[in-house]
Amino acid sequence: MKSTDQRKVSFLVKLAFCACLWVTAQANAWGFSYGDQTGKNQACLACHGETSEVPKASFIDPQRFTQTAHAGIGCEACHAKVAANHPDGTRLPRAECRECHYEINEEYAKGLHASKTACNGCHNPHLVLGSQEVSGEDINQICSNCHNGLEMTAKHGEWLPQSELHLRMLPCITCHTDARDYYISMYIVRSKGDSRFGKKELAGYAELKRLAGGREIVSLIDTNRDNYVSLEELRIFNRTQSSLRLHGMMTPTTVSHKFEILDSRRNCSFCHTSGSGPMQTSFIAVPGSDGSFLRVPVEKGAVLDALYAAPDFYMMGSTKNGRLNQIGLAIICGGLIMPVGHGFVRFLTRKNRKGKEHQS
Amino acid sequence: MSEKKRIYLQPWPVRIWHWINASGIIILIVSGAQIRFPESLSIFHSYKSAIEVHNIAGITVSISFSFWFFYYKMVKNTLDKLYIPDEEDLKHGLVRQLLYYCFWYFLGKPSPYHATPDHKFNPMQKSAYLAVMFVLMPLVGLTGILLLNVTPLRVLILMWGGIKFIVALHYLLACSLLAFLCTHVYLATLGNYIKPMLIGWEEVEEHEEQEQPAEVAIPGYRPVRHYPEYEQMLLEQRHN
Repeated sequence: MKSTDQRKVSFLVKLAFCACLWVTAQANAWGFSYGDQTGKNQACLACHGETSEVPKASFIDPQRFTQTAHAGIGCEACHAKVAANHPDGTRLPRAECRECHYEINEEYAKGLHASKTACNGCHNPHLVLGSQEVSGEDINQICSNCHNGLEMTAKHGEWLPQSELHLRMLPCITCHTDARDYYISMYIVRSKGDSRFGKKELAGYAELKRLAGGREIVSLIDTNRDNYVSLEELRIFNRTQSSLRLHGMMTPTTVSHKFEILDSRRNCSFCHTSGSGPMQTSFIAVPGSDGSFLRVPVEKGAVLDALYAAPDFYMMGSTKNGRLNQIGLAIICGGLIMPVGHGFVRFLTRKNRKGKEHQS
Repeated sequence: MSEKKRIYLQPWPVRIWHWINASGIIILIVSGAQIRFPESLSIFHSYKSAIEVHNIAGITVSISFSFWFFYYKMVKNTLDKLYIPDEEDLKHGLVRQLLYYCFWYFLGKPSPYHATPDHKFNPMQKSAYLAVMFVLMPLVGLTGILLLNVTPLRVLILMWGGIKFIVALHYLLACSLLAFLCTHVYLATLGNYIKPMLIGWEEVEEHEEQEQPAEVAIPGYRPVRHYPEYEQMLLEQRHN
């Protein structure tokens, strides 16, 4: 009990320390710069940002590091024990993620991954972005560093129909972490090599900017530029864009780090039901120039109905077309006209065929 | 005077195919309905069970369809004769059969057509089965195979117009098959069709023409058995 209390106190002290750093950095304080080129990060990056100065393993891409939340707290927040005479040939002690991410660490310890790898097994602290700033494909890319794609497809295929399709269209964390709420994250994709039959790939910032005619990328969808996409705007985008498509991925709203195998996800109607709760909230992830994604909210409602307008998107049981259902019903009713109508007259005229019913 | 004559109308391979096909299509319709409307229907234990049953039944019906085609085309070599309406069928047979179903049947007149092992279907049956067996079934099977392999057959799906088009086509074809099934089952009760499909044999009455009183001809109603010149014409056509 005592050690838990001490840990909590230590955590609060460090949290307060981080908050102080944040406040001082806000005022462009010298020590921690939020990526300010004149700040102390720059002193470290002067060597660690140059491949010629440090070994490959110690290289930190300054441009990408600047975009991370970690740049804000500065190098010393994690690497406090750097000696004054660094580099002196001694190896620095590893940074302790749990000092700041205590709750995540506790959560992670309860999951299946805890015995397999530590935080840096999945996250590079010098590149890490928030879950809402990365695409589902980026998230799956992290998983595929350890989990072989073919092996996973085969293993899921033992019980999951169309396993390859499911693994491609869903972030692994949607099924392998428990979350209370989900949203549909939509990405702009285009065919590889602009071929009609090319594989769909995430459209990059540069090409979308070009297609938007130099304007903001979001204007391709958000035509009235109110930073809010209505279902009608989505439908118009699907109808008018010939090379661009929208793909939707169901993503947890709050990402848990407790990795587990959840039996509830084996229930297909968790996703494959029209109008289910997780399908109501959605965002469009628009790529930014720095490699992260900007989230643009989409009108609440049956977003899959709008996605149904996308020619290459269909989700069984969820993206039904109401008009098609009515046509189907009319066809079936047409098939009943003969038995019902003929059967009725047959019943009325039964006396005419007495004893001859099966002689034809 | 008339006496009963037994003819072997449906050989056992056809009977086995027919009932596998029938049960398979019913299972496909029921499981397909749950797959499309999961929020309203829960016939099978779970959505996944419905998909698995649908996939297995779909593969079974596809194999059974291939068997049917192979049997009639390669083994019996009667596929064209049985299923493709000839000139006479199109000129007179269809109208005659339609008139029979719409009017003469209600007045108690016999059917103008009699099944034989080589001419099992009346002109209306021929036309309907031609559409069902040569258009509906292959298309619903092919679209089903595409939907069963979305990732491996991705390019083929795009060539066919995209997954949405394939799904819509599969669904509408399935509805058409269900519509046909209703009519098919009903019409089977109009003549002596069910028993031969179960045991293979059909009992028909053989009429002795001399003692048969000539029926009064009704305009538009031309029972085949009372028009020897027509049978003669058919016989000549067969010899030619």
